[in-house]
Amino acid sequence: MITRLLQIAATTLWLLVALSYQTTIAAPANASTSELRQHINALATGKIKDKPRRIEALAQLGSNKAIAALNALIEGRLYSDKASTQVFMKHGDHFVDPLSLTAVNTTSKLKKVKANNKVRRIARAAIARLTLKSPNSEQRLQAVEVMFKAADHKLLPLIDEALEFEKEQEVKQKLLEIRAAITLQNKHASKEAQLEAIGQLRQMGSQQALGKLQAFINNSGASAAALKAADLAIKAIEKSQAIWGVFQNIWYGLSLGSVLLLAAIGLAITFGVMGIINMAHGEMVMLGAYTTFVVQEVIRTSFPGLFEYSLLIALPLAFLVAGAVGFAMERSIIRFLYGRPLETLLATWGVSLVLQQAIRSIFGPTNKEVGNPEWMSGAFELGGLMLTYNRLWILAFSLIVFAGILLVLNRSHFGLQMRAVTQNRRMAASMGIKTPWVDAFTFALGSGIAGIAGVALSQIANVSPNLGQSYIIDSFMVVVFGGVGNLWGTLVGAMSLGVANKFLEPYAGAVLAKILTLVVIILFIQKKPRGLFAQKGRAVEA
Amino acid sequence: MSKFLENTPLLYLDGVSVAFDGFKAINNLSLVVEHGEMRAIIGPNGAGKTTMMDIITGKTRPDHGTVLFEGQDLTLHDEAQIANMGIGRKFQKPTVFENHSIYDNLLLALKGSRNVFQALFSTQSTEQKQRIDEILAVIRLENRRDTLAADLSHGQKQWLEIGMLLAQDPKLLLVDEPVAGMTDAETVETAKLLREISKTRSVVVVEHDMSFIRDLDVKVTCLAEGAVLSEGSLNHVSSDPKVIESYLGR
Amino acid sequence: MISQALFTRFSLGARVLIISLCVVAILVPAANLLLPPEHFAHVPSHLLPLWGKYLCYAMLALALDLVWGYCGILSLGHGAFFALGGYACGMYLMRQIGPRGVYADPVLPDFMVFLNWQELPWFWQGFDQFWFAMLMVVAVPGLLAFVFGWFAFRSRVTGVYLSIITQALTYALLLAFFRNDMGFGGNNGLTDFKDILGFSLQADTTRASLFAASALLLALVFVVCQFIVSSKLGKLMQAVNHAESRVRFTGYRVEHIKLFAFVVSAMIAGIAGALYVPQVGIINPGEFAPANSIEVVIWTAVGGRGTLLGPIIGALLVNGGKSYFTAAFPEVWLFALGALFVAVTLFLPHGLMGLFKQICTRFNKRSATAAKVTPLMKPEAAE
Ligand SMILES: Nc1ncnc2c1ncn2[C@@H]1O[C@H](COP(=O)(O)OP(=O)(O)OP(=O)(O)O)[C@@H](O)[C@H]1O
Ligand SMILES: [Mg+2]
Repeated sequence: MITRLLQIAATTLWLLVALSYQTTIAAPANASTSELRQHINALATGKIKDKPRRIEALAQLGSNKAIAALNALIEGRLYSDKASTQVFMKHGDHFVDPLSLTAVNTTSKLKKVKANNKVRRIARAAIARLTLKSPNSEQRLQAVEVMFKAADHKLLPLIDEALEFEKEQEVKQKLLEIRAAITLQNKHASKEAQLEAIGQLRQMGSQQALGKLQAFINNSGASAAALKAADLAIKAIEKSQAIWGVFQNIWYGLSLGSVLLLAAIGLAITFGVMGIINMAHGEMVMLGAYTTFVVQEVIRTSFPGLFEYSLLIALPLAFLVAGAVGFAMERSIIRFLYGRPLETLLATWGVSLVLQQAIRSIFGPTNKEVGNPEWMSGAFELGGLMLTYNRLWILAFSLIVFAGILLVLNRSHFGLQMRAVTQNRRMAASMGIKTPWVDAFTFALGSGIAGIAGVALSQIANVSPNLGQSYIIDSFMVVVFGGVGNLWGTLVGAMSLGVANKFLEPYAGAVLAKILTLVVIILFIQKKPRGLFAQKGRAVEA
Repeated sequence: MSKFLENTPLLYLDGVSVAFDGFKAINNLSLVVEHGEMRAIIGPNGAGKTTMMDIITGKTRPDHGTVLFEGQDLTLHDEAQIANMGIGRKFQKPTVFENHSIYDNLLLALKGSRNVFQALFSTQSTEQKQRIDEILAVIRLENRRDTLAADLSHGQKQWLEIGMLLAQDPKLLLVDEPVAGMTDAETVETAKLLREISKTRSVVVVEHDMSFIRDLDVKVTCLAEGAVLSEGSLNHVSSDPKVIESYLGR
Repeated sequence: MISQALFTRFSLGARVLIISLCVVAILVPAANLLLPPEHFAHVPSHLLPLWGKYLCYAMLALALDLVWGYCGILSLGHGAFFALGGYACGMYLMRQIGPRGVYADPVLPDFMVFLNWQELPWFWQGFDQFWFAMLMVVAVPGLLAFVFGWFAFRSRVTGVYLSIITQALTYALLLAFFRNDMGFGGNNGLTDFKDILGFSLQADTTRASLFAASALLLALVFVVCQFIVSSKLGKLMQAVNHAESRVRFTGYRVEHIKLFAFVVSAMIAGIAGALYVPQVGIINPGEFAPANSIEVVIWTAVGGRGTLLGPIIGALLVNGGKSYFTAAFPEVWLFALGALFVAVTLFLPHGLMGLFKQICTRFNKRSATAAKVTPLMKPEAAE
């Protein structure tokens, strides 16, 4: 029963592979379509004992376009039209052409093409040969992987055949592994063969290998030595999987951390360097995201060719928009509130309400669609890790922004003035620094960075008027946790919070993980009220 | 036991060091203040005078060294406990309860229960009122008793703070630069007041004003770079070449 | 004797407030129940819960003022204590529904039946008793405030740091209460209440009684607060606000003073929440939203913090304005609220009470005692 199911699974998967061939690869040059069609149509003719020959002939053409038809033959889905001698495949409740795979409307009576076990076996062998001979190693690999899932001892001769001429190391390895899996399924295999197979599966180390080994232990009366080896192999695989799992979690954590970092860097400047609690910081992020949206809208309607560059165009604009709003805020409100941090908190909260409502009035309360450019979409595998491009870019981008800010603060003339003003306002003023302007530009810088963060966030978060609200508490946590007035603290804070969150998630679930991190930070602040990288000195104690 | 107490000095600092980010603000400092003694402490800016008071009052924890008050280890207690053990402190910058009247400032400082619930239900006894009136007379603010402390002049605030310390009735009074920003007349008055106070308790005064120190006429300790540079009578200290070098100048 | 001692502590404004609250507690229900609907002074039934809600908000603002105005602790998480009190009351009301729920389970509230729960979780036990629920209304917020404050004040977390972690606290609770498996009705919260102490919540008499109870309890809480702030402890609280280290070097335990204020304040907030829930008929996790807590701050600031009258006036005015604006110009409300935050902090740092005092002083300039407005922020000397 199970083998029957596996067979079905295998054949459908083969079909899928075959389909993907047909869309991606041009047929091999040596078989013309008409020739193929001729041979396929021939499958319906003649006696049953002629069929193996016909199948061989079809396979000889070496075109994987024949796979679909062969598959249909095996599954009894191949029908022929007596009148025209045309062959069709039954697909659900309609018929399709075996080559173009397009639906056809036939009114004439169709007859099922007969097959017996021998025919089926030969057809299957042909399919395997055809697939495994695909010139594209990627496709071969895919085919082999499909085979692995439905490893069946009937495939053994095919595999051996494929092994003979397979050159690609990776595919060869996979084939050997299938062989191993099949060997384990075979109760009559010798002990040595079993041990060798176990070793190969162990090397493979995948979830599938794990499954095969488990199955081996569960349902065979194999020798104690083989069982022990299988058990050890399972342990080893589980261990290596756990290690990859850790790396995957670290990656997710860093990715979350990079988002937090982006949202928090600007805050680290306004809060950490200037001592201003900007509750409207989240709204600056939101403005950046909406700027991206507007840029993409304009591009979509007027310059469709520029879409790939939309983010690059949005970056400076978002910086300017958010920076300008921040500048205006500092000049009109915050400068009257220096030295009154709690009041600043309230006033900026008021500004955040106004900004949210303004955006809601202009753009409406619903989510806005911001597209991902090509280079931001997709994913790739690295060892046992799955990495998506947008997350990778955002991580890289956050580090670039971080380094940029560090450079501005520590190396530029403006940074020097800024530090001077924060350390001793009056002294700086008497040295000829225009402190009000330094304040305004520092605040604008912090806000501008938030705008840039908004561009990045528009790629992974919903762009709505509430966008900022969902990040503000987290970013405050990052700054407070990392230690106020220390950008490195912000970096470490963001990354460790991100990683901690993602490590808790598998055990506690996303929401509980978040609650736990909040609670941990609340407790942490009790222990180190000034954060991880605390600023020391008398000034901060006042 | 009482014999033992008599023999132990009131305040005993030995080998005390504290560093901020590697900078040694106090470096192997030793100091002994006897019962009933008044001590003046001088030294250049940044010598560690205020930091020394921070250590005694529990605001800063020393890295090394012994700090004993009546034989009790102060490093094991926090500010409130140390205050209740009998150490009062005047800050370099006058610190009073600006939003309370002068009377209330003294009332809050007055010796008595420090328990929160007792404070909730407490009422003033006539004794307490009398004591506050006495202190008001001492600090010359009798007829300003209902004025908000915020409205006082700088010098008056200094005095109010000293008055609050008196109300606390401490065994040891630490006074950080009490005459900074005062007129000469006020300075003389303050010196008189401190001498008066020192009749009943020990006092440690930090000051830069040499004429004020001279008025006090007590043993002087000169600190520099976190350690004792010289100790003795004012004449002895001020003629010490090391002191002249680092503090008084030639 | 004691009552006389109490009364001498009250200013004219305070006496006016107490008396008018008592009068309102009698007149408004009477105007609703006794006067015929066509009478010009008749109070329509739908206004009772609305006004009752304002009174609850006023009580919440008063609670916040006790910590912020007097002790200088800006809590951005007072909504959490309010909501916890509300949930405690809501749990009582849920248990009162009994078999009248949609699923007609005699014990389990509907949402538990829906989640396939077999029995009442342990923390729902006892809430069928009114006295127990009312105890929890103050005990739960009080305990949370105690634990939180114990850690925070002992390690001297102050100023904006404290504000930020109180915000994190209410945010964490928001997330927690959204979860279904917390056992508090998840997203939907607790609602569909039927009756309280055997009286139908839909009945006019019950609504009128709840309104009267709100007014009287507000008056009572006001008296208690007045007692606290005018005691020596109250003076210490204000002293902590302005010169924390001086209080400490005088020998008081600053953390105990703050803890006392914080816990009492949280309990008052819990009572306010408990009165709020039967009048609005629902409690859900939205009440934990950080934005709600910040809004309470603005009520207090508008009225004038550091006075007990101010927060009550502020809460009534702002919420009255909110009801008007959200009905008349819904788009404008958030603009108005945002502008209010900015304007009050910039131009009215002492709120309406401060403005009122200023005007009074200007009128009495010639008279000898000029009531000074206390400075709100005095940077504390560290040494
Ligand atoms: N919390 C602290 N963090 C870092 N450095 C500190 C701290 N407290 C004191 N210092 C440093 O320790 C040194 C001693 O300071 P202290 O205030 O004790 O000097 P002082 O003798 O009181 O000077 P002055 O006469 O100016 O009052 C100074 O250099 C000061 O900068
Ligand atoms: Mg000093």
